[in-house]
Amino acid sequence: MKKLIHSFTARKILELLLTLLIVTFLSFLLVKLSPVDAAEAYARRTFMLYTPEQLDELREEMGLNQPLLVQYGTWVGNALHLDFGTSLVNGRSVLGEVSRAMGVTLSIVLIAAVIEAVGILLVGSLCYWCRRKWAHLLLVFVCIVGVSIPPFFLASSFLDVFAVRFGWISVASSTGLMRYLPAAICLAVGGIALYSQLLSKNIEREMNEDYAVYARCRGLSDMRILWTHALPHALAGLAPSFLQMVGISLAGSAIVEKIFSLPGLGYSIVDSVLYRDTPMIHATILFLAFFLVICNAVSDILQRIFQRGHAEGAVQ
Amino acid sequence: MKKLHILFLSILPALVILFCFLGFLAAPNDPEEVVITQSFLAPCAEYPLGTDQYGRCVLSRILYGGYTTLGIVLMGSAIIMTVGILLGLLLGQGKAGRNVLFESILNAVTAIPPIAYLIIFISTWGNSVSTMVVALTVSLILRMIKLVKTKTELEYNKAYVLCAVASGASRFRILLVHILPNLIRDAFRFSCLSAGEMILSISGFSFIGLSLGEGVIDWGSMVSEGRTSFGLAPGLVLYPMLFIFLCVLSFNLLGRQLESGGRIDA
Repeated sequence: MKKLIHSFTARKILELLLTLLIVTFLSFLLVKLSPVDAAEAYARRTFMLYTPEQLDELREEMGLNQPLLVQYGTWVGNALHLDFGTSLVNGRSVLGEVSRAMGVTLSIVLIAAVIEAVGILLVGSLCYWCRRKWAHLLLVFVCIVGVSIPPFFLASSFLDVFAVRFGWISVASSTGLMRYLPAAICLAVGGIALYSQLLSKNIEREMNEDYAVYARCRGLSDMRILWTHALPHALAGLAPSFLQMVGISLAGSAIVEKIFSLPGLGYSIVDSVLYRDTPMIHATILFLAFFLVICNAVSDILQRIFQRGHAEGAVQ
Repeated sequence: MKKLHILFLSILPALVILFCFLGFLAAPNDPEEVVITQSFLAPCAEYPLGTDQYGRCVLSRILYGGYTTLGIVLMGSAIIMTVGILLGLLLGQGKAGRNVLFESILNAVTAIPPIAYLIIFISTWGNSVSTMVVALTVSLILRMIKLVKTKTELEYNKAYVLCAVASGASRFRILLVHILPNLIRDAFRFSCLSAGEMILSISGFSFIGLSLGEGVIDWGSMVSEGRTSFGLAPGLVLYPMLFIFLCVLSFNLLGRQLESGGRIDA
């Protein structure tokens, strides 16, 4: 057993490192293949007029003349010392910029995850509760609509209605929770719609298990069985894929952030694209991949724990 | 009753998608034609959904936008389906697919969600139709390969494959005639569900200002242009949004239909 866990951990770590390497290498490769030259974009922005000699000098300075693998190797070496260079746009340290953006994104995603968890619990139980009534059909339909509605439409209409028409929220001046809450709500809707369906299916399966029948024979009420027996099992089954979805919304929040003008990952990505700020691009992608991979790893570990619990329960 | 059910949940969505894809052939006006004097017209016979701030026909723009968006989606899906399934089948059956290092690499690249690949591609190449096609195809084809590979490995150990081997069927015959029909439905389902997400990503990125390029009409940029005059003409935002919503809904319904047991050909 111990050996199994060991090789599992080793494999996960190998996968984790591989993912980071592949993703960052991909971003280097794509920058290399990009039709727009980073040095040229930088020169046009800072000098306005420049000679081909100056451009060559700049390329030399930025290390763009070296072969791709050397460039990548240097970058990885520096990244191991947490040195990501300075931004080509404002000359500030990339590490500081990216970690600030990451902080904003992480707060939005965490708040969204909390909202999602509560929403999934409520809507999923409700879905199960009225499974034989016509209201179920309505709920299912609402959920499908919730999955299909574009998050950017939700976000922009949220702004148009609550900020512009009613003036309840202010985009510029609010601080703390209120600043991130609207974006988090818009991000959470899709997740709630998708996962409450899965939860209600899980609950239904659990309620037909032997232990639920036994509890019913003991004379427990359906409500009690649902809350104390079936729901924990159903939630445990859902937790790994929920965590994966939290990872996905780290990347997915880019669009919503941009609409709410929150200086998170999305903002920095759009800016880096517009200015061809290569150090920022590489660092942002590395951080994004890092958090994603962490989410995935935790989800895998959870899944393994639950599977083992299940197997042991079956043996007993 | 059963027939009605199938009609509503699979034929109707398919028709909606087909209409949004090929509707541009029946567009009433030139989508690029600017007539400044006729801006913000209400819906009339000549302009069924009115005109925008430059006097361009909204309906025609929506139909051409659908051709762009769904063109990207359908082209990407076609490549993903053919190449992804073939590679997945071969890897699931061959020895190379069981290599630990290879499996780790496949796990590693599929651990990153498609939208993150999109961000990588867009942030390095800028947004354009070709970037979108490449990015969506690359990100989803890896997942398709993994799905098909896992399914093939499962199916390969079943009795019917042994019987087929015993009766002298060749490797390709087993893969294409015996195993493929067992996983084609999962592959279709995956494509439908990912097509919905593809539409949301395409319009989402062009909505926040990373447009697909000069002169390319698509729903996301129509919505973001229309937002500036939302109070004056809400239709400029609502109509393209409605079409995005309908297309995504159709793909989701098709995916659900494939999942819940209704056969495609039933």
